[in-house]
Amino acid sequence: MAVRTTSTIEDASPRWYSHPYNRANFYRLAAALAWVPRRLRLGLARQVGRLAPSLMPGERAAIETSMARFTGATGRALETLTLRVFTDFAMCFSDLVSTNRQPAALRASHLGQVEGIDRLTTTLSGGLISLTAHVGNWELAGRLLAGKSARPTHVVVAPDEAQELERWVRRNGEGVRFVSRSRPTVSLELVAALRRGEVVAVQGDRALGTKGDIEVPFFGRPARFPLGPFLLSSAIKVPFLPAFCLLDAQYRYAVKIAEPFIAVRGEEEDAARMWVAALEGIVRQYPTQWFNFFDIWEPFAR
Amino acid sequence: MENDKILEALKDIMVERLKFAPSRLPELSPATALPRDLEGSLGLDSLDFIELSVGIEERFGFVIDEAQDLAPHFHTLGTLVDYIRSRLA
Repeated sequence: MAVRTTSTIEDASPRWYSHPYNRANFYRLAAALAWVPRRLRLGLARQVGRLAPSLMPGERAAIETSMARFTGATGRALETLTLRVFTDFAMCFSDLVSTNRQPAALRASHLGQVEGIDRLTTTLSGGLISLTAHVGNWELAGRLLAGKSARPTHVVVAPDEAQELERWVRRNGEGVRFVSRSRPTVSLELVAALRRGEVVAVQGDRALGTKGDIEVPFFGRPARFPLGPFLLSSAIKVPFLPAFCLLDAQYRYAVKIAEPFIAVRGEEEDAARMWVAALEGIVRQYPTQWFNFFDIWEPFAR
Repeated sequence: MENDKILEALKDIMVERLKFAPSRLPELSPATALPRDLEGSLGLDSLDFIELSVGIEERFGFVIDEAQDLAPHFHTLGTLVDYIRSRLA
């Protein structure tokens, strides 16, 4: 059950999913459309999203695999779900880039039902780890939640291939600070932030391909997940809080904050299983907002 | 606390918390680099640094909560010894 391994292990460097369309021009285009009324802008985004499956056959195949496993759909129903993932992603992406530079009040107007916010604002004092995933509008969630919390929020992100992209979606301010995982010493910043009683927001759904991953059943089949958030929780003795931000049927963002857990030292894998169970529950409810465009069960096969 | 005593305590932490092989302890010196992205270093990754920082807190009795960049202090065993000594002063 114990997890931590050794220093001096010669293991692989962390790897992240990327696709050839992660280019500044797409961000620039999305930002340029920020002036368009939101309903119209989201309609345009859906049209662009419809084009994506034919331009990204590898990603389309991966999404079909995921949707089939999540929902059991086949044939036409599976095609519809797969297309919907791309159109939902396009809408979330448009909202993220468009609203990133807008005043907090305007951004908050996109907010719908919020469940469990008291866990963030009042119930839990001291440091905590906000754990989310590439489901719905996870980056917008960080900014929305930071606005609800009096504590600074440190959002841990993968280093972007193109640093120029950062200015579109990773603007520091309003209580949010983005922290890139580019250096191994980044965890020292996170330890110190948690000791100061601040919030660390991290994603718990993408394995890194290192010794820091573990295998946990996800929709009935083993998948790899990062163990880091749970090791951080057990080492610092702070709770982690599963938090998700989903686009609802009225095109508003529903924020769902689940029960907090504290990972126990030596039992971090159990904590990871609890997290994956929470993630499964959300994905069952919102399968087309699963925005991992690769095979989550075979992430390093490509 | 003397520098060599701090260094010995750090070696204990490396063995106890980071599962560093005791047979390799004689290789360690103040010049030994720590992070994995440095050539010839001990190859510590982000999870190792969590363990190391918590081990230091428990062993030396202070809390690592600085807002400034801590990476320079965790560059080599020598810089880490200096950091710990300054915190104990």
